[in-house]
Amino acid sequence: MTLDVAFLFLQQGIASGLIVGSVYALLALAIVVIFKTSEVPNFSQGEMVMAAGYIALYLLVFQSLPLWIVMPATILAAFAGAALFRRLILNQVARANGSPVNLVIATLGLSYVLRGFVRQTGFGDTPRSFPPVVEPESILIGQASVTTLDLVILATAIVVMAAFFWMFKYTKTGRAMRAVGMNPKAARLVGVDLTRIHMIVWGLSGGISAVAALLISPKVLMTADMGSIVTLGFAAAIVGGFTSLPGAVVGGFLIGIIENLVGLFITSRAIVLAPFLAIMLVLVIRPQGLFGGRVEIKKV
Amino acid sequence: MPDLLELTGVSASYGRIQALSEVSLRVPEGRVVALLGSNGAGKTTTLNTISRLVPVTSGSIRFDGKPIESWASHQVVEGGVVQVPEGREVFQDMSVCENLEMGAYRRKDAAAIRADFERVLNYFPKLRERLQQRAGTLSGGEQQMLLLGRALMARPRLLLLDEPSLGLSPVLVQQIFGIIDRLNKDGLTILLVEQNAAVALTCSSYAYILENGEMALQGASDQLRRDDSVRRTYLGH
Ligand SMILES: Nc1ncnc2c1ncn2[C@@H]1O[C@H](COP(=O)(O)OP(=O)(O)OP(=O)(O)O)[C@@H](O)[C@H]1O
Ligand SMILES: [Mg+2]
Repeated sequence: MTLDVAFLFLQQGIASGLIVGSVYALLALAIVVIFKTSEVPNFSQGEMVMAAGYIALYLLVFQSLPLWIVMPATILAAFAGAALFRRLILNQVARANGSPVNLVIATLGLSYVLRGFVRQTGFGDTPRSFPPVVEPESILIGQASVTTLDLVILATAIVVMAAFFWMFKYTKTGRAMRAVGMNPKAARLVGVDLTRIHMIVWGLSGGISAVAALLISPKVLMTADMGSIVTLGFAAAIVGGFTSLPGAVVGGFLIGIIENLVGLFITSRAIVLAPFLAIMLVLVIRPQGLFGGRVEIKKV
Repeated sequence: MPDLLELTGVSASYGRIQALSEVSLRVPEGRVVALLGSNGAGKTTTLNTISRLVPVTSGSIRFDGKPIESWASHQVVEGGVVQVPEGREVFQDMSVCENLEMGAYRRKDAAAIRADFERVLNYFPKLRERLQQRAGTLSGGEQQMLLLGRALMARPRLLLLDEPSLGLSPVLVQQIFGIIDRLNKDGLTILLVEQNAAVALTCSSYAYILENGEMALQGASDQLRRDDSVRRTYLGH
């Protein structure tokens, strides 16, 4: 490999990496925001993405609704579905037996229900493709080749993340979410309605998952198993420290870039290993993740 | 004086452990009432049933005449019952300023909130110098001030104080109780949980003593202070 080619690969890897990475970053954000406020890893995150994808597909292809209705409708439906799941199912589980394990099992249950449902309806039988939002046209940035669709994906992801961070940092509800994450008991003592905050957190997580679904659906074949893409979101979250929202975003971009560089410089068959490589590297160098706080030994 | 808070036959349990049985107490408006007892007697549990963090299995809790035993915790705060918990329950990763603002979470009267913010900083000048500091890095005494300030930001009508003197130097204990006294003189009703019976009996008008989740003794504070069994068990002389 000459230096010229290596430089070209580097540019292409970073450009493509940033684009898929932005979707991983969204997924990681959706995972971490739930974990941060309830210490429950949501194992149905992937199926939430998949279900949102199929809602969009249904509205667009079978109801022939225009895109400007389909997109907000899908995001709203995912927000409402996730918030209701938290309110109706998880609250009940928590009340019956507060141990986190049961909550995790409930999220696993939801993942099976959603996958089963898509299979039942027959939508999931044949892999389908989602029509792209914009006609993909090739553009050169430096020497890297990307499409207009890619740029729309990246821009949308960045706008959604910026809006989310603004909400989290500056609004009263965002501050209440942080408070619940830091100290749920203290949050209740200042009058935070935990049920409401948990619903909003799940709703936002569902909404972000829906955005991710809308962004990737044109690029992948949709099946009932497409939720497995969230594995990369989990990897990004781990790289970022699992409780850090900025960490989740950086982790997402990093994994996207590493995947692409591995594909270009080594072999495309090694791509699946890339996220695990990244996790191992980060865990060896910084066991708490890139942005995780100090490793704390909790005094019981 | 009418009772601002009235517990009648309140029982509570954690799983199979009965933590409170048939506890009754009254806090008249404008007074400081002390709730004493040794470790594990159920003092914190009593406050937590009032704050609706711990469910009651039987009995009733009335605040300002209204039954609140089935309310949610945020409704109690909105109603004006605010707890200062034991331990250092600040929002660690928020600034002192944000912690205080969180105290006013249920309020919407922006102008009055700003005025209360100033009032709290006048009570606790130390906090003014540290508004931008991360709350988790405050000293124990400063965190206790912050907790008290955060509770005041909610504009309570009834303040539930859980061992405000715990782990503080004698000077700080004096300072905290000076502030408690001032707050009460300004009209705030206070239910004070303490292990430091000497201090608690000095600044309260009436006191209850819990033992193993049951009300063992009650009376006017100055009488309890002279009571022989109380002196032996709780005052150590
Ligand atoms: N979350 C809990 N789960 C199980 N048991 C609990 C819980 N909280 C308190 N208890 C038990 O209930 C009893 C009363 O505890 P509580 O905290 O009310 O005591 P306390 O009077 O506040 O004691 P201290 O002065 O040490 O703070 C204790 O026996 C305690 O072990
Ligand atoms: Mg206690």
